Amino acid sequence: MIEFQGVTKRFGGRRRAAGVLALRDVSLTISTGSVTGVVGPNGAGKSTFFALLLGFLRPTAGSAMVAGMAPRDYTRKHGAGYLPERFSLPPDWSVRSALEGLADLERIPEAQARAGETLARLGLVEHADKAVSALSRGLLQRLGLAQALLARRQLIVLDEPTEGLDPVWRVRFRELIADLRSEDRTLLIASHDLTEIERLVDRVIVMDDGAIRESLAIDHASTERRRYRIELQSSVAGAAQLLGLSKSETEKVFTVELADARELSARLAALLDLGAIVESVTPADGLEERVRAALQPEPKA
Amino acid sequence: MTAGRITRLVLVERSRRILGLIGFAILFVLAGFVARLLVGGSGHVEMGQLYQIGGYPMVSALLLLGWLLGRYPIIATLVLVTGWFSADRAAGYARLYSVRPVSFLRLYGLRLLTLLAVSFVMSAVLMPTFDVLMLGEWTGAAVFVLIGSYVLLYGSLTAFLSLFTRGEGWLALGLGMSAMIWDAMRRAGSLDQAPRIVRQIVSFILPPQGPLFRIETAFGEIQPIPWIDVGYVAAYSAILLLATAVFIVDREV
Repeated sequence: MIEFQGVTKRFGGRRRAAGVLALRDVSLTISTGSVTGVVGPNGAGKSTFFALLLGFLRPTAGSAMVAGMAPRDYTRKHGAGYLPERFSLPPDWSVRSALEGLADLERIPEAQARAGETLARLGLVEHADKAVSALSRGLLQRLGLAQALLARRQLIVLDEPTEGLDPVWRVRFRELIADLRSEDRTLLIASHDLTEIERLVDRVIVMDDGAIRESLAIDHASTERRRYRIELQSSVAGAAQLLGLSKSETEKVFTVELADARELSARLAALLDLGAIVESVTPADGLEERVRAALQPEPKA
Repeated sequence: MTAGRITRLVLVERSRRILGLIGFAILFVLAGFVARLLVGGSGHVEMGQLYQIGGYPMVSALLLLGWLLGRYPIIATLVLVTGWFSADRAAGYARLYSVRPVSFLRLYGLRLLTLLAVSFVMSAVLMPTFDVLMLGEWTGAAVFVLIGSYVLLYGSLTAFLSLFTRGEGWLALGLGMSAMIWDAMRRAGSLDQAPRIVRQIVSFILPPQGPLFRIETAFGEIQPIPWIDVGYVAAYSAILLLATAVFIVDREV
């Protein structure tokens, strides 16, 4: 579905040394129906990547294709769902008129009915007559999601979709993504919330300094052993042996590899019986760890 | 795409500016009404009568008002069209439209048409109303040709500049003022010493103030409309609109 070959984007300045290199030599392939996460620090190039993917910008070098077409040709022909990082609409528009107007632009035959349906789906019916400027951060984000999901597009790009959403709507958002996944849509989601990303996607692209540092597969049905980091309030004699370790990191911090949550619970129970006070337990092989490893500075040659 | 719905949204989006322009127009009408009340009777409100009532300040105020009134179509067009594309691009709205299977040309064309129509209608209500108040008579349909020329020219110029800069309104105003000064100097013969080619190039690049001046003069002196000048202004605007259409299709957003 999406194919980038050596895509580079430079802003400002025609000379090689001038301008800002926002994306450099990015090559990747994303298949139809996949859910891909895009993560990385601020300024990593995520938004520029999306801007090139949706045809807002043209590459300085390389080629970007969506379904065999230049991105802008693709969106003109098929459209795409898009939620920008900082979503806004003209402040005087009402929520309902905004969605109806955008549904019109989507060439949806029953624009009014679809707008109403989407308002209900995102819990915006009671706010439908409010001006956009009167919406809270969370409601505005829901309006952003509503306009992105207004038409049933194959390609959907969401930049920081859970930003500003309350816990209830974060859960609903997961359900929305599950629905879209079941419909075989191609989704790209950028987020700083790695726990959320890990729940939602099949694959994570780690970006930094305008380049792809790593592409990580997320296996939701993995049966492999998992690593946990257990931190005690103070050192306890025999804790390391109990966890099957010859020594601990600092006498009170242990990293152990266990089969599953059942084994983890058993070991924690044994530690408590020893008189240990458990300060924290965190997965040591979660996405956060893997992203952190991918973002380690490359060793100098 | 329902043109009616898009037009409504454009009007809502620009509602504050429209209200501001209506308030500005009401000031002119009120001033004209006060002048008429002070002078009384029918016929033209003469400067001599105003001088007797309020001295130089009164005359100066009315002259300034008269000059400003003549620029109202320019002011309305600049106020409404500024940000036509550049503000959408800066706020990210253009990206939201861009991911939808809609022609930018059609969408922004419709927006521009709506804004120009609003500028025209507001000016077309204000200027003849003020004329009737001050002159005591209907001055004829030529005023609509004059308003149309101003709206078309400054609308197309601002729209074209809006593709490239957020300062399009000020830039169009600056170009318009430069053209007025240049044309006044040319008419006064102050530019006779300048090389002919330079004069021609500058006159070609700047908005066509010469033809606009002749249209305005013909209207002021109740002479036949100079259709050649109207055609020149229309052609200049059409070239700008054509260039805008060509650039907007592939403009990065």
